[in-house]
Amino acid sequence: MARRVAIVGYAQSHHQHDMPMTREDMVFEVAKGALHNAGISREDVDTVITASTDFLDGRTISNLYTSMAVGAYLKDESKVEEDGAFAASYALMRILSGVHDIALVEAHTQGSVVNPHLVSSYTFDPLFERQLGFLNDISAAALQARMYMNKYGVSEEQVAMVAVKNLMNAADNLNAHRKMPDVTVEEVLNSKIYYDPIRELTMSPVSDGACAIVLACEQKAREITDKPVWIEGVGSCQDGYLRDRSLYKLDSLQKAAQDAYEMARVSDPFAQIDVFEVSEKYAHEELMIYEALGLCREGEGKALIEKGTTEKDGEIPVNPSGGALGADPICATGLIRVIEAAKQIRGEANGYQIPAYRALAHGQFGICAQKNVVFILGSE
Amino acid sequence: MRNVAIIGCGQTKHSARRRDVNLAEMVGDAVWNALEDAQVTSQEVDAFTVGNMQGFGGVAQPEQWLGDWIGASGKPVLRIATGGSTGGCVVQAAYYAVASGLYNIAIATAWEKHSDSKEPGATTGLAHVALGNTINMINCGVSFKHLLSMTLVGAAAGVACYQAMYYMHRSGCKVEHLDMVAAKDRRNAAKNKYAHLQWPGCTPEDIAKTEWVAYPFRYGHICPASDGASAIVLACEDIARKRCKKPAWIKGLAAYSDEENQLMSEGAGGIGILDASQQIGARMSAIKAYRMAGIKDPQKEIDVAEIYQPFPSQELIFAERLGLFDEGTAWRALEKGETDINGRMPCDPSGGVNATNAIGSSALQRILECALQIMGKAEEHQVLKEVHNAVATGWGGATNYIAVTVLGDSFY
Repeated sequence: MARRVAIVGYAQSHHQHDMPMTREDMVFEVAKGALHNAGISREDVDTVITASTDFLDGRTISNLYTSMAVGAYLKDESKVEEDGAFAASYALMRILSGVHDIALVEAHTQGSVVNPHLVSSYTFDPLFERQLGFLNDISAAALQARMYMNKYGVSEEQVAMVAVKNLMNAADNLNAHRKMPDVTVEEVLNSKIYYDPIRELTMSPVSDGACAIVLACEQKAREITDKPVWIEGVGSCQDGYLRDRSLYKLDSLQKAAQDAYEMARVSDPFAQIDVFEVSEKYAHEELMIYEALGLCREGEGKALIEKGTTEKDGEIPVNPSGGALGADPICATGLIRVIEAAKQIRGEANGYQIPAYRALAHGQFGICAQKNVVFILGSE
Repeated sequence: MRNVAIIGCGQTKHSARRRDVNLAEMVGDAVWNALEDAQVTSQEVDAFTVGNMQGFGGVAQPEQWLGDWIGASGKPVLRIATGGSTGGCVVQAAYYAVASGLYNIAIATAWEKHSDSKEPGATTGLAHVALGNTINMINCGVSFKHLLSMTLVGAAAGVACYQAMYYMHRSGCKVEHLDMVAAKDRRNAAKNKYAHLQWPGCTPEDIAKTEWVAYPFRYGHICPASDGASAIVLACEDIARKRCKKPAWIKGLAAYSDEENQLMSEGAGGIGILDASQQIGARMSAIKAYRMAGIKDPQKEIDVAEIYQPFPSQELIFAERLGLFDEGTAWRALEKGETDINGRMPCDPSGGVNATNAIGSSALQRILECALQIMGKAEEHQVLKEVHNAVATGWGGATNYIAVTVLGDSFY
């Protein structure tokens, strides 16, 4: 990379269902929080990138009222649709170009305002799938889950173990939405079924929430903080449309991860990365993510969860914060993973700290994780 | 900093109803045209930036469905949407993608297919923009005054009416001047084979015969709602010099937003921008973009401007915001024919948004048209004078989002 860029501040809301706050108040709090965390003021910020989508916000030009609350007014700013982690990658590009030095990135969704599962049906091919009306994000994920499970002989119990791990981890995370310290595999398997095999506890909850980070070039980062979290690598990729891709694996995540590993000079992610924060919108996706990230061979994701390798005290902890199963304010979810990874590196993950020098954060968007973005973060 | 240039442009024909293609095919056409123009293969493209106003076409995140049609599968795709300025912001994102050093060749594409939605977005769109917030407001309680101010704003045309009146009041511009702008744009559009409203030989008198919509706008002043797509290929310096005889360099860019959107004026609890034609964001963006481009006197150094003007008053307002004319004098220059296609400072030789408005695509087309003028590929609507520097704008949100891009044939 032409310049080194670091995360120097962050903030997130207490994610919950039906937050008693307007969207504007919610984003104001996190934007102010991130600047406060970095110890800088709005005047120091060169550029602001926000993330939200029109359909999920239930309005055209979704940033119309929130960009002022974020403090983007009279700034060189823009809005990325979809996940905040994509917005972070855009902010990174803006700093790498040398045009800007300090960027504020904000992402939010209030899932309680407009039903996100209803919205998901508008993402399908309007000429065919949408007319049939069978598909939404959950039913498509059910197809993905069955294809994956059938191909590699993964059992529903193994998928439920992912949910148990993440929901228990979420219990330690103050910001998480769905905390279940005593949840069991039986409880997960007995939870309400939506589309076989997707159950209430194996899919992410509908959350309201927001988060923000501050990025800075090397010189500014050193002025701002003693604990910069360096962005060592980034990669993103979009898969083909639902009909034209292999649903039993996450090709685009694999490509995104390869690009990020190459940039960060990571050859063996299992050994070289200490903690992983990934966006698993459904429990089975976490197993697929293990494989796409190269943590195990294809189809061997189930072994990692069975052996407890990805537990908080395992060899490669995945989602010690509880992941997307713990809270899913859709557009913010990926950026929250970036924050959680940065917290681990800064040693600020109270209650779920893992000794970490290098961390991976992953964000996704779309039907069956069609778009993926991967960040590799590191300490000095 | 890496230098970035536009090496290829592609558009589709714009019209009210493109029934011959679906959305994916239409965007595909624009992208493949751009690739062909740039002599770049789809495999060589490293990244895509895309955008449109998804509410107007009724498909959420359409790039996920149509990615395969534009060769984006297996590539990074960044989606940007900021209202009318979307296309400008999409190109700026592609610029940063290449300037960052992460990618060498990027495609920026933006589109709109208004006819796919129940109501055309170009004129009623802003009603959605205003009313969208009521869901949230009803949840949290909404005052009658607040509700009124949003519903009475009168969509995009309404906002532009207020803005035009402020400008006309302080500058002395008359409705007749708006007729002249609209007539010029329709005439220019007749020379642009991709434009929507083409009217060869249109005169201000023709426009003055059309019905009043809302003072100071007549039917003939207002942009159409178009179906169409456009795309640009951007490349880093090495590739641009090898592949393109005359690349159009992106020399400066900025997208400062205004202090608040116009729906937040004092009736809605905002600080209240009194004069909606001030557009401070546009001024700030222009200053920064010119500074990056090394342009000290835009009146002398800019050769052609492509201004985002769904309403004719905006061509005058933004020409002044860009520093192309002194404050309050753009309409006098118009009277003298300075903004004509063969004038001293041609504004919108392509006909601009006033003649063609496929919302997402509109601001991208402004940059694309500047590139064509610099590359000398604008065919019939190529301006007479030699073009060294050109400036393009985008205007979005509820008057508050701006994107200014300065292009040139070389670096200073």
